[in-house]
Amino acid sequence: MSLLFKGRAQGAQLSQVSIIQRIQMFFLSHVRQALGSLGEMWRSGAASLMTIGVLGLSITLPSTLYILVKNIEQVSSGWDQASEISLFLKAETSKQHIDQLLTRINSWPEVSKVTYIPADDALNEFKALSGFGDAIAYLDKNPLPPVVLVAPSEKHAGPVAARLLLDKLRKEREVDIGKLDLEWLQRLDALLTVAKELVTIIALLLFLAVVLIIGNTIRLNILSKKDEILVMKLVGATDAFIQRPFMYTGFWYGLLGGLLAWFTVVSLLWWMSASVEAVSALYQKQFNIAGVDFSTLLIMLSTSVLLGLVGSMISVKRHVSAIEPK
Amino acid sequence: MIKFQQVSKTYPGGQQALRKVDFHVEPGEMAFLTGHSGAGKSTLLKLISLMERPTVGQVLINGHDLNTISRRQIAYIRRDIGMIFQSHQLLMDKSVFDNVALPLIIEGYSHKETTKRVHAALEMVGLRDKAKNLPIMLSGGEQQRVGIARAVVNKPPLLLADEPTGNLDPKLSMEIIRLFEDFNQAGVSVFIATHDLGLIARMKYRTLTLKNGQMITDGLSQDF
Repeated sequence: MSLLFKGRAQGAQLSQVSIIQRIQMFFLSHVRQALGSLGEMWRSGAASLMTIGVLGLSITLPSTLYILVKNIEQVSSGWDQASEISLFLKAETSKQHIDQLLTRINSWPEVSKVTYIPADDALNEFKALSGFGDAIAYLDKNPLPPVVLVAPSEKHAGPVAARLLLDKLRKEREVDIGKLDLEWLQRLDALLTVAKELVTIIALLLFLAVVLIIGNTIRLNILSKKDEILVMKLVGATDAFIQRPFMYTGFWYGLLGGLLAWFTVVSLLWWMSASVEAVSALYQKQFNIAGVDFSTLLIMLSTSVLLGLVGSMISVKRHVSAIEPK
Repeated sequence: MIKFQQVSKTYPGGQQALRKVDFHVEPGEMAFLTGHSGAGKSTLLKLISLMERPTVGQVLINGHDLNTISRRQIAYIRRDIGMIFQSHQLLMDKSVFDNVALPLIIEGYSHKETTKRVHAALEMVGLRDKAKNLPIMLSGGEQQRVGIARAVVNKPPLLLADEPTGNLDPKLSMEIIRLFEDFNQAGVSVFIATHDLGLIARMKYRTLTLKNGQMITDGLSQDF
């Protein structure tokens, strides 16, 4: 509606169109402006590509780190389940008592597998592996105790349950020392937490960089179109109308940068998959890299689009209103 | 239509562009504003188009005090005023059609309606066959007519022109003025700032003269 002239309808109202048609027109003009922005980027070719490249790589780094951390977590959780308890028996325990102990432990529901390593076998193994073979030959007595390896059943393999089982085993008469090697797992967990925080910090810094890069690119766009903006303001364009194409430019930069990052991450994973397979073959462990699944892709794209919009919004708010006809 | 009440404008730095200006252009009237360079013509037009605000006094359009218009509303005010500039203010990388269509696109007209109106406006200024050209390919007079087509394409009740004949020879200037007369006869109020006294002298229109920011004469051009 005209502010100055009562009864003078402006724009869409004049052609007496229905609400639905007006909504259609609203979307149509948005689509037109969105495509216009895309066309503008296409025409500026190399410059747009470089901007998209910088954005893509800036998003690639945190995404790759994120996937790395996710994979380490997955691997370590696998190890977490396989915790094994070593029981060092008292050296003087008789064979009969050891057999009784093995039978007893085997009957517990928490235990899935019991392996007995007699003291002599342990000594032979130590001789073979340690390289102290000759020195050991001088010993008059086997210093190693007999060892029982207890694998907890799947249900009791978690760190807490395994610790309870360890306490129970320690109470057995024949057991001298019981060890559950969880400490390195806890250390790995702590390291992972640090790594995750590091990824977050790096991601935040790079995201900030993305916002600044897009903001600056849009600022240059706005300044190069100063004359056009002036003319549009003179013929009655609102700030919102003038800002929209620049917001769409930010949107496209974000989307294309995100897609580039996704493509780069997938390529990196594909490139690394051969070497990872080699490693997992050495460990005789089936191990698949968790790649970019659909939800990760969605998060990546929406993050980069959001960054694009924030960057362009900051720029547009500052610079479009500053251009006024004089 | 345009009413100035004791309007003064002092720019930051102390330069006084307008001093206590009072006048009233009636609806449907066609009037000229004249005076030497620096007399305050541009400032006066900028107050109407809200590029500047008065230091003291009130500017009213159709009875509405422009002092009450907020920054956000300015865009809507400008849609009611068709503005024509000496420097044309055309977008040089867009076709004549796109230039004229700009106000309609901004106001959200449908594609069909836009095409119809742009062609009608170009028809009025005699440039129907140049719709696809770029402004750079047109002569100065033709460029000015594109600017006029853009100003009238959304049928504003008020036309403002700032030195519309500034760069044109007398014959072309007269053609431009005849165009304004046509719009005026269709009921549009027209307010033209010009220092081309020879042009005004040949016509019988109300003329306001500014000197050093003050309104010194207000009357028919024949009277002086």
